[in-house]
Amino acid sequence: MEEDHSNPSEVSDKTLDSIAQKKHAAMIERLSNLHQSRLQQAISRKSDSNDSPSFESTKSFLDRFSETKKSIEMEIDRCRRVSESESKSSLKSDLDKVSVSISDLERQVAENSYFLPSYEVRSSLKTISDLKETLESVNYELLPKKKFSFKNKTTKKDQSNVVKNETEIRASDSVLVENCSSIKVRDSPGFHNEEGAVLVKHFGGSKEGDFTLSDLNSCEVRLTGSFRALFIHRLWDCRVYVGPVLGSILIEEVEGCLFMLASHQIRIHHAKETDFYLRVRSRPIIEDCNNVRFAPYLLSYEGIEKDLGDCSLDEETGNWANVDDFRWLRAVQSPNWCILPEEECVNAVNISNLKTPGEVS
Amino acid sequence: MGLLSIIRKIKRKEKEMRILMVGLDNSGKTTIVLRINGEDTSVISPTLGFNIKTINYDKYTLNIWDIGGQKTIRSYWRNYFEQTDGLVWVVDSSDVRRLDDCKMELDNLLKEERLSGATLLILANKQDIQGALTPTEIAKVLNLDAMDKTRHWKIVGCSAYTGEGLLEGFDWLVQDIASRIYVLD
Ligand SMILES: Nc1nc2c(ncn2[C@@H]2O[C@H](COP(=O)(O)OP(=O)(O)OP(=O)(O)O)[C@@H](O)[C@H]2O)c(=O)[nH]1
Ligand SMILES: [Mg+2]
Repeated sequence: MEEDHSNPSEVSDKTLDSIAQKKHAAMIERLSNLHQSRLQQAISRKSDSNDSPSFESTKSFLDRFSETKKSIEMEIDRCRRVSESESKSSLKSDLDKVSVSISDLERQVAENSYFLPSYEVRSSLKTISDLKETLESVNYELLPKKKFSFKNKTTKKDQSNVVKNETEIRASDSVLVENCSSIKVRDSPGFHNEEGAVLVKHFGGSKEGDFTLSDLNSCEVRLTGSFRALFIHRLWDCRVYVGPVLGSILIEEVEGCLFMLASHQIRIHHAKETDFYLRVRSRPIIEDCNNVRFAPYLLSYEGIEKDLGDCSLDEETGNWANVDDFRWLRAVQSPNWCILPEEECVNAVNISNLKTPGEVS
Repeated sequence: MGLLSIIRKIKRKEKEMRILMVGLDNSGKTTIVLRINGEDTSVISPTLGFNIKTINYDKYTLNIWDIGGQKTIRSYWRNYFEQTDGLVWVVDSSDVRRLDDCKMELDNLLKEERLSGATLLILANKQDIQGALTPTEIAKVLNLDAMDKTRHWKIVGCSAYTGEGLLEGFDWLVQDIASRIYVLD
């Protein structure tokens, strides 16, 4: 079965290659006649848009950028001080103006990103996200009733066409949901909707595809052998022990759980009060998480060494501790996660034998 | 000779295409880019910001911007819209649960005026996984037939693991961009 996968793809790669080459030859011929017209277009586009200044060099862009940045920071600062006096009336509109300036600055980075060195683009975007964060916290501080948002939202009670649109959108959404759920029922290997159960599965070979754990409450899950991809969704108070996953693991909405996972990539969204014992090739990602803790992988079962080796996960890279919090892209430690203190770690868990159900505390 | 080499240089620069790769996190964007560039795909990290890959596709230079798809950084996608010739939307065909997220983000993107002239290639990735949805099923869920009639688009099933479908997709994309620019001329 393995060969069935690799051989045809090699052949088709080559066939496509030669077809592609012929097509390209014809195309490139045409293209070489086109560059002039394109260039002219680009020039005329540039001279048309006098409203958005274009910067011919990296240096002049960066100078302008830091100037604007400074003035935005000063404005935020001013708003902060104003709030201490009684003239709060214009505060909201002032802060909105700052938000617009930040968006403008962002647009400028975008418009110039095609010639800026990637480092400059990256650091400019970082600056912008910092500015947004500062503004958001100032907004929260000074206008605590409404959560500040960069998006425009329409109010629900509005009796205009907007409402109509909204219901139209909802209608099409529900069609989508129907489509999705009919597909979901058809094929999604996994454990779903269980409570208080011990769920066990062994994967025979690397041909096995994806597996899903969803809507589990107070369960213990043991997956041995290796497979390609794991999706985990809505788990409460569960203990989940999993052998190596060749591709990636995606976890969303879990609370009060313990996970032992090994994979090339692990992304964790909306997790709370959960401990992760991980072996990962790349840095684990968290987004919208709090009180999550990390420790090294401690799982064993008969044959796990071979499974780990087959998935190139036999080596401890130490990446379990290099967590990237997308809600906290800064140098200082994120408040959302920490390393699990050694004395609180569970003992190594052996799930070889069903009758010894791990070290459940 | 000197002049000739200068002209060549200018020509090369003008034969560039700017391609933007976006899609939900975990859909396989980075793996696809590395795969078509013939690079090692065994260790790939989720993308924090973006990667730029310059790939010579015959005599043509593709500047591929591979942008991270984690939710927090999706709002930065628009920073890369300017001058985009081709938009590649990557879907994880095995991630049925997040297809509605996927649809919403794609719909938002297509409303964007700065992308209105861009050719759209939808890659229904991970076809090698058992139980992955077919391109036809993905097209139905994403309601692609309802797309603006002026948009040039195509959906192609592919696998960044086996390489299947990638050339077909990029071949169409590059040709469409080329012919579109030709028509405008
Ligand atoms: N089975 C299978 N897995 C794939 C395929 N393409 C990518 N993957 C896996 O999917 C996971 C995510 O791939 P990435 O390329 O990092 O995804 P991405 O879209 O760049 O993700 P972000 O950078 O977070 O936006 C990795 O574990 C890949 O190995 C494919 O065609 N088939
Ligand atoms: Mg990536």
